[in-house]
Amino acid sequence: MHTETDIKTKIKNYIIESTFDDVEKIKDDTLIFEEGILDSMGLLFLIEFLQEEFNLTTTDEELVVENFQSINSMITFVESKM
Amino acid sequence: MSTIRKPFSKDILHIENIESVCNEIIEKLKNDVTRKLQRRGAVIGISGGIDSSVCMALSAKAFGSNKVTAIMLPEQDSSNDSLLLAEKLASKFNITETILEDITKALEGFECYKRRDDAIGSVINNFDPTTDKAKIEIKQDAASNLPPVFSVTVIKPNGDVNSKLLPVKEYLQIVASTNFKQRSRMSMLYYHAERLHYAVIGTPNKHEVEQGFFVKHGDGGADVMPIAHLYKTQVYQLANYLGVPQEIIDRTPTTDTYTAEQTQEDFFYQMPFEQMDLIWYGWENEYSIDEVARVMGKTSDDIQNIYKNFERKRKTTEYLRMRPIF
Repeated sequence: MHTETDIKTKIKNYIIESTFDDVEKIKDDTLIFEEGILDSMGLLFLIEFLQEEFNLTTTDEELVVENFQSINSMITFVESKM
Repeated sequence: MSTIRKPFSKDILHIENIESVCNEIIEKLKNDVTRKLQRRGAVIGISGGIDSSVCMALSAKAFGSNKVTAIMLPEQDSSNDSLLLAEKLASKFNITETILEDITKALEGFECYKRRDDAIGSVINNFDPTTDKAKIEIKQDAASNLPPVFSVTVIKPNGDVNSKLLPVKEYLQIVASTNFKQRSRMSMLYYHAERLHYAVIGTPNKHEVEQGFFVKHGDGGADVMPIAHLYKTQVYQLANYLGVPQEIIDRTPTTDTYTAEQTQEDFFYQMPFEQMDLIWYGWENEYSIDEVARVMGKTSDDIQNIYKNFERKRKTTEYLRMRPIF
């Protein structure tokens, strides 16, 4: 069972490691796509990461900005699927 | 002296003096090929699509129909209509040398089809490439505030449709394997160009170049691209003026790459050309979101998201337009 802190740390570390971005730049409510931190390939790799790390599958219908726009949104999305 | 720019309108991209614009393109093409590139004619791949048709018509006017070699490069997934239309086009412009090069065997050699079908089959379990049709497409609206991602769609002979979001590994394998098609065509075009001491004419329009809807070293590999500065609706305007056969003008632009029929709108652009041209122009020329929204009959939020979508596409495809770094 993953706690909210676990999920947050794993997602944040993944984004920082995959983008080589400054840790200070990525807050929990930073708009990841709006700010250009991840692009469409970044989103695909993120979906793969969520599947491998939390064993969850994202469907076409779930691919909406509300589920992916920030680390906070992703935490809510991951928790809703567990 | 300051210039007053035109208010944004649905006619803003209409070419007023089409004859003079065509003549300028023809003169530049002639100069680029014969003076800058020092080549004596043009090789062009014709697909039966609007862009290659316009480029062929321009080349025939620039060099004369006896100095243009038109190559048709179908493969097993190409539509039969494409070949018929390409033949009709070459005949209309009296092109003396037209060559048919079926690249299916070359693609089999690269295992293009097998690699693609293996990737599709690992996402859609009961996919049978011998009977089913398949394509990849973006299902999100262009006004979505999330970057576009692809789904694979398989259509069974009985019409049943199965569609799934593509995982990254399979998406990349499908794209990489189908790109053999454009790269094989490029190799064949250069074979003929070198044999004749001609230049290869590239056919991408402005959207294809700037949004990255081309294959690096594939259809992006050419010596000169005469319509790369033109919006799609302007390409249609040229087609009408130059006398491109009406069947080609009336045909919906397709990718002609996957076994299932697929429009370019479904595959990549996410909106009709008529809208995309105008909104792209508005974005590129920094027209206000509210002004563009009012003229296009959309909400300001929609236009803002479409502007972001354009910005994202141009940024993420920068790699395709870059020359090797050294």
